[in-house]
Amino acid sequence: SKMASVCRVGSTVGRSLAKYRNPILLSLRRQSSVSYAQSLAGAPETRLTALDNGLRVASEETGHATCTVGLWIGAGSRYESEKNNGAGFFLEHMAFKGTKKHPQTALEQEVESMGAHLSAYTSREHTAYYMKTLAKDLPKAVELLSEVVQHCSLNEADVEQQRAVVLRELEEVEGNLQEVCLDLLHATAFQGTPLSYSVLGPSSNARTLSRQDLVEYLGSHYKAPRMVLSAAGGVNHEELVGLAKTHFSGLSFEYEGDAIPVLSPCRFTGSEIRMRDDAMPLAHVAIAVEGARVGSPDIVPLMVANSIIGSYDIKSGGGKNMSSRLAAMAAEENFCESFQAFHSSYSDTGLMGMYFVTDMHHIEDMMHWSQNAWSVMNMCTTVTDSDVARGKKSLKASLVAQLNGTTPICDDIGRHVLNYGRRVPLAEWDARINAVTPKMVRDVCSKYIYDKCPAVAAVGPVEQLPDYNRTRASMYWLRF
Amino acid sequence: MMSIAARRSAIGTCLQFTKPTVNASVFSRLVKDFVPAASANGKVPHLISRVNHIIRPVRDPLLSSQFYFRSEFTGATGIRLAHTDIKVPDFSDYRRPEVQDPNKSSQDSSEARKVFSYLVTGATTVVTVYAAKTVVSQFVSSMSASADVLALSKIEVKLADIPEGRNMTFKWRGKPLFVRHRTEKEIATEEGVNLGELRDPQHDKDRVQNPKWVIVLGVCTHLGCVPIANAGDYGGYYCPCHGSHYDASGRIRKGPAPLNLEVPFYEFVDEDTVVVG
Repeated sequence: SKMASVCRVGSTVGRSLAKYRNPILLSLRRQSSVSYAQSLAGAPETRLTALDNGLRVASEETGHATCTVGLWIGAGSRYESEKNNGAGFFLEHMAFKGTKKHPQTALEQEVESMGAHLSAYTSREHTAYYMKTLAKDLPKAVELLSEVVQHCSLNEADVEQQRAVVLRELEEVEGNLQEVCLDLLHATAFQGTPLSYSVLGPSSNARTLSRQDLVEYLGSHYKAPRMVLSAAGGVNHEELVGLAKTHFSGLSFEYEGDAIPVLSPCRFTGSEIRMRDDAMPLAHVAIAVEGARVGSPDIVPLMVANSIIGSYDIKSGGGKNMSSRLAAMAAEENFCESFQAFHSSYSDTGLMGMYFVTDMHHIEDMMHWSQNAWSVMNMCTTVTDSDVARGKKSLKASLVAQLNGTTPICDDIGRHVLNYGRRVPLAEWDARINAVTPKMVRDVCSKYIYDKCPAVAAVGPVEQLPDYNRTRASMYWLRF
Repeated sequence: MMSIAARRSAIGTCLQFTKPTVNASVFSRLVKDFVPAASANGKVPHLISRVNHIIRPVRDPLLSSQFYFRSEFTGATGIRLAHTDIKVPDFSDYRRPEVQDPNKSSQDSSEARKVFSYLVTGATTVVTVYAAKTVVSQFVSSMSASADVLALSKIEVKLADIPEGRNMTFKWRGKPLFVRHRTEKEIATEEGVNLGELRDPQHDKDRVQNPKWVIVLGVCTHLGCVPIANAGDYGGYYCPCHGSHYDASGRIRKGPAPLNLEVPFYEFVDEDTVVVG
């Protein structure tokens, strides 16, 4: 009640102040809250420059005291072959084991003495090496990154040592069933194509990849036109470009024998894979259809549709009054431990689907209602205006909330420049989202979901999962 | 490949060959005892690939003999270690031609493939429904009258055998059938009857196809007795049971019967033959 009385006092004061329209107080109030539109319009611009060798330098000056700077490379497991699948991942492990100028301990010491974090990730189409550090240490960070990427030492002894680490990591990832399930989904959905390869690669490759393989991989894919030096934080773009010229001018931009690796389209196959193990407590199931590619205009309506379905986690505390109908049902009927709608986009294709975790007695129900959500809410005439309005708002909120630090911003910049050739500003996302109408959602979803063959991957006690023919049959309704 | 050399003793009960799923913690104690000096390709084989080849000895305190083991590695172990080792089989043998090429998007052909599948399914459904209907109706119609019974349902009458003015009775469908060869006088009389007089008004020409021949069922419409031909007050039939009089056209004139004698379906095959039924 003390809280309540404070609130009451506060509101009385506020109201009385407002009545008097005291200019000083009014300006104070205006300063304390910036409207959404204002914040979008006022967002700092991302500046993009290209060097002579094709390397692109992009940065956003956010005014933080820290910065994240890194190299985003258009290389990943999709560029690998069956024989060297896992090379990118292996290389990522090797990256921090020393460069020609700085052997491992020296490198570690440099990084630690700056108080910086050096990390990397590899995905199917992108690889990134980035460092989070104080803004004033940008030059040193760029220097170290340039060494890591261009002059990685790759000695044999380290390769062998990292081999064991990679194998151990392969073992460990078996415990992360979400990874396993989604990897299997890619393996079956894009079977026979490079997109089916997991980033980690098979264990046989982990045992046999040699230094030569890694060098070849580096040589074929780490080329300037496919790389972006991205930075966000308290960085100055001109300074960054200068540093790039100093350290990255030597980056190669030519391919041996002019053999430029070209990505061919990847065929999607409606199919199913089940890894049944009744000893596991929970079943992890993913179902996906072929989605939209990265630059497609359909991406935004599909993202809105996914926002409408949303996600749910039993630990999250939301109950039967959650706004996503599927989530409310899942909470009330206890259908699942968690679910989420996802959309992975690649340069020319994508996977749009639902992933859920449930116990062995609710798989059929959950699958039925998930497909129902797809078909009922997004395709038939039941997506309501309020659903779409809610989805749009929540999508905008999540897009903005994601960019909550120099590292997410830097990652955003890097990936955007690789995917779109430019940074797509929040204001543009906002405009595109605003343009989405319920009819658009229905039409676009029908185009991608209605009567299409899905890919299904399931891990765990999956006896109850309906047969693929039934799942396929639930992708349309006989309605005339 | 493993070869074990040991002193002769009750070794067999003391040795255990482990399967690949040996507990890793057991390894860590024993592994360092087993590291081969160098293997074929100069690389130190690491932890996991040894799984296939370890022999775990059980030290029997009573045995004083030392065991030594020699093991060789044969290359790929063949155990699935990670989900990334799962290979989706190549289903090319089952794929349609449009989706054989993994470097071509399957979206372009998806419409055509679906339409083909649905058309084939639809056509098969139609054919199956038709076939099912045929089979079912064949079985159901087997319960209807058989050919011999149906054969009995028609009767062929030779009209030349019936003299003028006379009535012949045939058994047809279990009932008497009257075939009457009428004289000119009878025909004129019947055609001239005033319909107002009749209980069941019907003109003679509505009851006969050829006025010379009257074909009616010989069942009295009162209570079903068989009328007597050439009897009664109207020159036709007379039912003795309750006294119904019918005329030469089979119409009721006097008596309790309510309706005229029933005229069955018949057709003249030729001048001399009529098929009734």
